[in-house]
Amino acid sequence: MGSRALLLVKGVSSSSLPKNQLFCNFNCKSHFPRPNNNWVRTNCSTTQSSGPSLEPPDLPRLAQTARISLTPHEVEEFAPKIGLVIDWFGQLQDVDLQSVEPSIRADTEGDSFRADIPETFENREAMIAAVPNYEEPYIKVPKVLNKE
Amino acid sequence: MISTLQPPRSLSHFRSNPTLLLRYTSLKPLSSLSSQPVTHSTITDQSQSPNPPSHSQILSTRHSLLSRHLTATQLAESFLTRLRLTEPHLRSFLHVSDSVLAQARELDEKIQRNEELGPLAGVLVAIKDNICTAEMPSTAGSRVLEGYTPPYDATAVRKIKELGGIVVGKTNLDEFGMGSTTEASAYQVTANPWDISRVPGGSSGGSAAAVSARQCMVSLGSDTGGSVRQPASFCGVVGLKPTYGRVSRFGLMAYASSLDVIGCFGTSVADAGILLHAISGHDRLDATSSKREVPDFSAQFVSMNLLESKPLKGLRIGLIRETLDDGVDTGVTSAVRTAALHLEELGCCVTEVSLPSFSLGLPAYYILASSESSSNLSRYDGVRYGNRVAADELNSQYMDSRAKGFGSEVKRRILTGTYALSAGYYDAYYKRAQQVRTVIQKSFKTALDEHDILISPAAPSAAYKIVEKKNDPLAMYAGDIMTVNVNLAGLPAMVLPCGFVEGGPAGLPVGLQMIGAAFDEGKLLKVAHIFEQTLQNCRFVPPLIADEVA
Repeated sequence: MGSRALLLVKGVSSSSLPKNQLFCNFNCKSHFPRPNNNWVRTNCSTTQSSGPSLEPPDLPRLAQTARISLTPHEVEEFAPKIGLVIDWFGQLQDVDLQSVEPSIRADTEGDSFRADIPETFENREAMIAAVPNYEEPYIKVPKVLNKE
Repeated sequence: MISTLQPPRSLSHFRSNPTLLLRYTSLKPLSSLSSQPVTHSTITDQSQSPNPPSHSQILSTRHSLLSRHLTATQLAESFLTRLRLTEPHLRSFLHVSDSVLAQARELDEKIQRNEELGPLAGVLVAIKDNICTAEMPSTAGSRVLEGYTPPYDATAVRKIKELGGIVVGKTNLDEFGMGSTTEASAYQVTANPWDISRVPGGSSGGSAAAVSARQCMVSLGSDTGGSVRQPASFCGVVGLKPTYGRVSRFGLMAYASSLDVIGCFGTSVADAGILLHAISGHDRLDATSSKREVPDFSAQFVSMNLLESKPLKGLRIGLIRETLDDGVDTGVTSAVRTAALHLEELGCCVTEVSLPSFSLGLPAYYILASSESSSNLSRYDGVRYGNRVAADELNSQYMDSRAKGFGSEVKRRILTGTYALSAGYYDAYYKRAQQVRTVIQKSFKTALDEHDILISPAAPSAAYKIVEKKNDPLAMYAGDIMTVNVNLAGLPAMVLPCGFVEGGPAGLPVGLQMIGAAFDEGKLLKVAHIFEQTLQNCRFVPPLIADEVA
């Protein structure tokens, strides 16, 4: 439902949307959560460090990446809390996990994907009615600027 | 046969508490207010016993309707009246349906015409507000979806309706399921019916409180890391988290897709099992739903008077050692050990089992859940649905809509997940957490090869005070230690009330968690049902109901 609707955005073809993480984030849901899908890595040119030198979180930059505006007060309030949680995550660095395969989810059943054939959603009108700003046949958004 | 079983010593006063009988009988739906008192207990003849075992409200409803003892309208009215009386104290609902009575009347007409009734006919069901309902708002407890009504029913909701269930309303939750207290709802804080100064647990706190206070008969919740089981424990009701894949998630607002499941609440094991059966099965709209056949869970429910003296003879039960360590309240530990004794009395062989990787599950869970949430919640951008903040440029519109729409806990988890998935950090966090998931899956498998089921507390404590842990995320996360590993392994688990600790006006319930092998909900339900039917000296009816009626 997402990608089809976005393609209707007035005056914007998918190729003119900013090629940043957000775009991929909104349109590549079917890729998630595969361990080999490193869209974040390839599309996010922020920190390239790897290995043991993990930088502490840079909150304003994370907020930009996650597309959430933060007030200065929120930055002040969140930074220590997020820092604490990430330090706490760090305990996994000390665990010997060599040669352990990652599991993308509970290993209870194989995938049973349906055929990749488009289907018409029955209650299209109700779905369209939920769009905050709609002008037949377009979802209207403000101007798109690629700041990067 | 279990006369040697003692309740926790500190609570032995419950045994002689003369108000227990009174409390039970006062559960007759508001008989003092209704000109026509209606009660299931008169039908099932359980009012004779001072401590009757929990009975199935679903089966009683069916019996009442088919035998014409009660009309669906009478039943619905009595529940709605109690809902209205208790709701100002509890605030468990974000939306109450205005068509309950109309649906009940329609059902009564069907009964008059002798039409076939669905297995859930007249059953009053509440739905957690992160599960989509086409005729009611579905906000997930978030401002970003304030006023949003989805264009479809979740598959679980559709099945309930098709079987005759009546949706009472939408229950409160921590925003998008992110929390363990229901305080992180953007709209209201829900109170625990056992003590309204305490949290009902979370994130499905509204669904648990509503069932506990008999505002509805059963309810749906969702469980990503314990969000059905921990509130079930806090509110003294039965909570059932099915195997990953057992129930379609179509229409469940995604939080962490590798962990999320829809689960059931009831006041009895039978009700949780019947509701699970109603919503289980493959759904072509959810590729992760299993094609396995759904067994008839109700076949597991052996009638009390047919039970032999050792009905669970030979069943091997593993008590998870790591769940009784330091940091767990002594009242909880003692209630769970008493429950283990009870299981031994029933013929089980209970031994301690160690899951050495148990404590790693908690950070691994929070890495996976926050990472996946940062991706899943990217859809709330104010473009296609939900609330939009006007801006003159698209990026600002995204950023401001999300800033205004999300609460603090949701923002922090998205930011944390964004960090964990950042370039170069993926291997250190997300991948390692997935490796820990493999380790945990294997250790559960080993433990479940040697035992039929595993048991543990559902939470390290009983319900705590509102605000107590609100500003300390790590303290709140720590409370999820008993439940998150089960989600990482995708296993089915049940929580059922097993005892009390001191606190509040009438004690606080403690839940026992039972964990089974994948797709073996049937065994869990069988053991839980026998445990429940033979548990003595405990009535899990919160004082709020008696107080309200008096």
